[in-house]
Amino acid sequence: MPQDNSKVKVMPKAVVCEESKLRGDITFSSGCVVHPSATVIAEAGPIIIGENCIVEEYATIAHRLAPGEEYDDNNILSIGTQNVFEVGCNVEAARIGDKNVFESKCFVGKGVSVSNGCVVGAGIKMIARQHLPENTVVYGEQALQREAIDKQGSQTLQIDFLRKVLPNYHHLRKPNYDPKKARSVV
Amino acid sequence: MELPDTYYSKDEYVETASGNKVSRHTVLCGSQNIVLNGKVIVQSGAIIRGDLANVRAGRYCVISKDSVIRPPYKQFSKGIAFFPMHIGDHVFIGEGAVVSAATIGSCVYIGKNAIIGRRCTLKDCCVIEDGAVLPPETTVSSYMRYTKKGTIEGGQGNPYFVPAAMQEEMINYTKSFYEHFVRTPAPAS
Repeated sequence: MPQDNSKVKVMPKAVVCEESKLRGDITFSSGCVVHPSATVIAEAGPIIIGENCIVEEYATIAHRLAPGEEYDDNNILSIGTQNVFEVGCNVEAARIGDKNVFESKCFVGKGVSVSNGCVVGAGIKMIARQHLPENTVVYGEQALQREAIDKQGSQTLQIDFLRKVLPNYHHLRKPNYDPKKARSVV
Repeated sequence: MELPDTYYSKDEYVETASGNKVSRHTVLCGSQNIVLNGKVIVQSGAIIRGDLANVRAGRYCVISKDSVIRPPYKQFSKGIAFFPMHIGDHVFIGEGAVVSAATIGSCVYIGKNAIIGRRCTLKDCCVIEDGAVLPPETTVSSYMRYTKKGTIEGGQGNPYFVPAAMQEEMINYTKSFYEHFVRTPAPAS
């Protein structure tokens, strides 16, 4: 598979399957789990994915170029910690906080800014420019929004399981970036 | 109803001794945990996650392009577990569907881009419409139709939603799909 591997940074303890499609300058923090055939495209600038995120099959995380824009190293898409991108979701949001869940086949457009603890339901398309306040749940056929009553359960158990199982069946990308070592050089 | 022939190129599909036709462009993870009981078609781009738990598919199943078959998980107080997934005979799974059901009965039709949530149970002879979204832990009984709107319609003796002869129709449909899914004939020279 011809791809630009040089710019993908994988921190130790991240599980990134080799069959995933990664393009551009992407950093996976420790504890991330990326399933096979996930896609991450850093077109407009680098993407930094926070700790303990799960990216499932056919999920697409894209940092796309707006018309007339060019690749800019300072235009970083920073994704928070403990987010879950379920099967087939397509996320191009401008800002993503912590502990969000993007369910199967949802689409989150470029103008959307997602704070913390939000859930975007299965099959929902969000295109308009908007800001999701904390703990928003977008649900149902009409994409109604409301605030969640209780907090989302944490995904750490699932991550622990996947981290044990995936290395048995898949070729993984080797961690190639150690923050401790990098610091000692400086 | 007779289906027209669909052709595939010889290089793309592998045919096993039991008559399974599996595309080379699929992602079959943990293939030792996947059992295809014969005459199953798995089209290109489909993903079957055998690495998470066992997946068993009955005879004459059709798993269309870009669909994802993914065993369901349940969260317990200590750790999570993925459950094995059983698919019955004569099941059609449409393009781009995401299936993490616990069990799927026989003669089930799942439409295009449908999403079957975690640990759903689909009984025999039910229909899931194109683009329907089933929330986790839903049960769809026999002869019921789950609509795109999110309602469950029909029932035995109500042929407006699921045909009374659903069983025969699905058997005929999947068999004829299998028989008309043939290798492109070598060009006559």
